Amino acid sequence: MKADRANLVQSPDTLAQMMGITDTEIARRKEWLEFTEEDVQRIASISDFARQIQDEVIDGLYTHFLAFDEVRAFFKDSQILERVKALQKAYFIRLTQGSYDRAYVEERINIGSVHGRIGLDTKWYLGAYNFHMRAIARRIFVEFAGEPEKALEIFLSLVKLEFFDIGLALDTIFAQREHTIRQQQDAIRELSTPVLQVRDRLLILPIIGMIDTLRARQLTEQLLRSIRDTRARVVVMDITGVPAVDSRVANHLIQTVDASRLMGAIVIVTGLSAEVAQTLVTLGVDLSKLNTVGDLQGGIEQAERILGYRVIQTEVAAAPFAGA
Amino acid sequence: MTDEAATSIRVSIRSDADIVTARQQGRALAVQVGFTGSDPTVIATAISEVARNIVVYAGSGEIFFYEARQGSRGGIHIIARDQGPGIPDVALAMRDGYSTGKSLGLGLPGAKRLMDEFEIASEVGKGTTVTMKKWVR
Amino acid sequence: MAVPILKQGDILIATIQAALSDADLLALRDDLVNRVGRFRSRGVIVDVTVLDVMDSFAVRTLRGIAHMTKLRGAETVVVGIQPDVAFAMVELGLTLEGMEAALDLEEGLLLLQRRMSGGSERDR
Repeated sequence: MKADRANLVQSPDTLAQMMGITDTEIARRKEWLEFTEEDVQRIASISDFARQIQDEVIDGLYTHFLAFDEVRAFFKDSQILERVKALQKAYFIRLTQGSYDRAYVEERINIGSVHGRIGLDTKWYLGAYNFHMRAIARRIFVEFAGEPEKALEIFLSLVKLEFFDIGLALDTIFAQREHTIRQQQDAIRELSTPVLQVRDRLLILPIIGMIDTLRARQLTEQLLRSIRDTRARVVVMDITGVPAVDSRVANHLIQTVDASRLMGAIVIVTGLSAEVAQTLVTLGVDLSKLNTVGDLQGGIEQAERILGYRVIQTEVAAAPFAGA
Repeated sequence: MTDEAATSIRVSIRSDADIVTARQQGRALAVQVGFTGSDPTVIATAISEVARNIVVYAGSGEIFFYEARQGSRGGIHIIARDQGPGIPDVALAMRDGYSTGKSLGLGLPGAKRLMDEFEIASEVGKGTTVTMKKWVR
Repeated sequence: MAVPILKQGDILIATIQAALSDADLLALRDDLVNRVGRFRSRGVIVDVTVLDVMDSFAVRTLRGIAHMTKLRGAETVVVGIQPDVAFAMVELGLTLEGMEAALDLEEGLLLLQRRMSGGSERDR
């Protein structure tokens, strides 16, 4: 998904916060994987070994990658390929260097966020980790040929760590996507309730679609800010496009009207049919404080009267694009 | 971001001036947690109601503010405690509200309307504890 | 901390400058009521632009101002309620009975002048 890049660029610290990765959470995750100090020691014991095999493992990884068209597309530029390989080698070394603390976690989150930004599917990402682990496993068992139990323990410790990493990276990608989705939702909500200024001191708020509590709140906040910014004295709020006006929606609208009055603006509600009004009254909704007019045009006319405008039609003007 | 335990603020409530302090602290924490739009003001208003309750009915008390978490959602957690006379009938107190706009009422039903979660525990002669939470949308 | 009150002809303008304690708000109420009596003012404007929270006590006190000054023949208008504050007030269920609200001082003065000259009331 080609999301807006700007939205995806957050610092690892911000992402960590968004994801709720506190020190407590980090400890929890390690507990869940049963990742202890012993595991840290075992992994540390192969740090030199990791340095020796880094080229073999990473070159092997990329040979495998580049056999796939979809992934090759990401590495058309050989400079990028070399850079990424270098980063992968550094990551590989880092795995065995211990100190899996907050700084380590933020580095993982950073990696996850980079992958999220370039839009790499998680299947490629998981496949890469899998390749890593298989390559390391074979080499560890060869290295500790005479001590298979030891080799297994070392390998299992590494598996725990890699799962810790994968968890963080995936959670980062998900957090980024959630963030983008939320931003898009906000944008949609804002677009779907435009506040229009058609005359000085007069705002029109045409509401289309269902209104839930969240939308009612967003709509009210937007209207109140517009009243302040445009110094509006009258608002015509048209609800013709609201499909289901039940008592909850009506109460939201009444709240919007009340809040606007606190800022010195009158709200004229248009598009409330007589039948719906009757139903609401039966349901116990107090519509007396609502200033209602049948349709939008009538509402605008009344607003203009209140504001002291008088619209006079002069001679019918010539069509604007009459042929020369 | 450090552990939750570190982000707790305590405001002692002894006079009406402390009500202002409490809501300023609450607002600041709300903004830090990530509340936007009118939420910080809504939260500060709820704090004001609850703090004033302490001053008027108990004389003194304290309010604690915590940053709360629910998965990836941030929020604010507020505990207002006093050792005042307590409320004999909590259910009645919570019903008495601003629907008429005339009753003096306790600030509690109002605060409940403003927050997402609201709990009150009170014992006559012992005191009252109000716990309320709001989550970032 | 006293709230400065300006006299502009028939109108008293009280501009709140910072978050007020309860005692300050009550003092303001008494001060305004006194002055309305003394100067036979016909209009009162309370400017709350600077307030970032208006809770039930603040609203009750404002209503008190409106009620008590009305007994002495004055109309009260509150001005400067900010968007977020208006929103929170309505969620809390607070209404301004007995007085009107206007956007700002300018609008408040216009409103009072219309009322005081017995001119056309705005459609409600």
